[in-house]
Amino acid sequence: MKGDKEIRHRPHWFEQFLEGWSVFWQNPLGKIGVTLLGIFALMAFSSFIPPLVNPMYHPMTGVDPEIYSSVGPSARHWLGTDFMGRDIFSQLLAGARIAFMVGVSAAFMSIFLGTAFGMIAGYMGGFVDTLLMRLADVIMVLPTLLVVLILASLFGQLNIWTIVLIIALFRWPGVSRVIRSQALTLKQRPFIEAARVAGASHIRIIFRHIMPNVLPLAFLYMTFRVTAAIIIEAALAFLGFGDPGTVSWGMMLQWVWKTGHMFKALYWLLPPGICISLITLSFYMIGRAMDEVLDPRLRREETAR
Amino acid sequence: MEIKRYLTRRIIQILVSFFVILTVLFLLFRLAPGDPVSRMIDPSMSPEDAEHLIAQLGLREPIWRQYLVYVKNFFTGDFGYSFHYGRPVLKVIWEKLPNTLLLFTSSIILSALVGIFLGKIAAWNKGKPLDSWMTIGALVTHTVFLPWLALILIWVFAYKLGWFPITGIISEEIWLDPDAGALAKALDVGHHMVLPMATLFCIHFGSYLLIMRSSMLETLKEDYILTARAKGLRESVIRDRHAAPNAALPVVTSVGLSLAFSINGGALTETVFTWPGIGRELVFAVSQNDYPLAQASFLLIALVVLAANLVVDILYAYLDPRIRY
Repeated sequence: MKGDKEIRHRPHWFEQFLEGWSVFWQNPLGKIGVTLLGIFALMAFSSFIPPLVNPMYHPMTGVDPEIYSSVGPSARHWLGTDFMGRDIFSQLLAGARIAFMVGVSAAFMSIFLGTAFGMIAGYMGGFVDTLLMRLADVIMVLPTLLVVLILASLFGQLNIWTIVLIIALFRWPGVSRVIRSQALTLKQRPFIEAARVAGASHIRIIFRHIMPNVLPLAFLYMTFRVTAAIIIEAALAFLGFGDPGTVSWGMMLQWVWKTGHMFKALYWLLPPGICISLITLSFYMIGRAMDEVLDPRLRREETAR
Repeated sequence: MEIKRYLTRRIIQILVSFFVILTVLFLLFRLAPGDPVSRMIDPSMSPEDAEHLIAQLGLREPIWRQYLVYVKNFFTGDFGYSFHYGRPVLKVIWEKLPNTLLLFTSSIILSALVGIFLGKIAAWNKGKPLDSWMTIGALVTHTVFLPWLALILIWVFAYKLGWFPITGIISEEIWLDPDAGALAKALDVGHHMVLPMATLFCIHFGSYLLIMRSSMLETLKEDYILTARAKGLRESVIRDRHAAPNAALPVVTSVGLSLAFSINGGALTETVFTWPGIGRELVFAVSQNDYPLAQASFLLIALVVLAANLVVDILYAYLDPRIRY
């Protein structure tokens, strides 16, 4: 990674960012990923418009007064209506908002936990390290979706923020392992030694000197965590254990499947599934392109061909 | 004999992990709102039966005794009665275990083999259109939303084309027919298994392909490949005998690491196809508030994942003679 020199010369970060961005943008995966993500962001931002146009376009409560069942696409309802006569297009926009909300907040929390635990384990070593890493091992073998299910069976209906929290709590170990190994090598560097001799506390060393060096890696993992969180929430909603107060893409699929419209309403079955798959794909592509920015070895390999 | 020590250590670690899971589940069960008795005892049971079961599960004893009874019951396979089936939970899930193992292991092994094979081809043709198409294909099939893929496969192959049954594991007319032989029955199960297996296969082979591809590219830079070339060996021999077996090792590791993810997918697949396995049983139990069944299914799945991790470790140690822990 970066040496201590780069950290001292802070003004360079902007140039570094520009350089990284140009590498990122040269990669077709990065370009497609960011473009797709931009479209989804646009969907999420415009999700509040349809209910303003007409209350019947409200994704959850809006019902077309003339339609009481699922009807195909028309000028009035661009993607048709669901079994109650609600507009599928506005549900799709609302779903984008939920996906971003769930994905980004769960990923942010799990990255925060993973980075903190990884740095502490790697820097402190010894008993703390063993304890945290064994805990990570146990959590890592647990299928998160089924954990959320068993918690739902114990605590009843979970709301969307509880689901986000559980996903975050069960998704930090992968990140923490990577950050830990990074912290282990950083610990041996002269600048950490220097800081310690100068009398810096453990907390100061961890947050001031180790953290800036592991953050780029943590952000890389964040893109992968976003997809994991979105998929788990969608799968949970699909199985019928989502937050009943939200319209997510998983929820839309659950409705089309459970109400038996699957074979008659392709206009309803296709959009939510395509959206979940594409948003996952876009984050995945961005992650792979970022990999290249952070790991110059991969970059040379790519440009050589 | 280093390997024996390594495996002993792994087995102990896995047992400890399982005990942690067992204990946390017990604590959560106590922490959850509501009365533990009503959670474990079917309301439709007769009072005598209920009293008997309460005594057996130790639900009225102090909490540390309850924990001991809970652990003991686990090891004697005593999970209480399923509310829905009105039968011992162990019997219910024991019947479902083979179905899950059949679907799950066959699709994981198939997707790993195909992923390794295609990844090898992609790396060998690096930079050519074939490689790009394979990489894109792998990315897309790997990120598609699994339940939706299952629904689409059902729509196309079961509903429109009518090639395969929509759901289930057997057709009654064949299994109730006294004249039907074992082969006809096996073929019937296989016929039902095609679509669920295709779903799991699509989701998994892509990631194995991508891992194999990058691992193969690394391996091709090794000195022994250069040596093999210098000896004048045929290219196909270098690819299949010298490079591919070594490059496949990371795929084995990733099968182990992604098992938790695969189990999620397995449960979703079983649910969509109403395949009578443990994953579907867990989903069903949660929706029916059948806590004893949900708990036992969850513990059994955790045990299967841990055991599978051990199998992967053994396989890895066996495949790579350089690795002696």
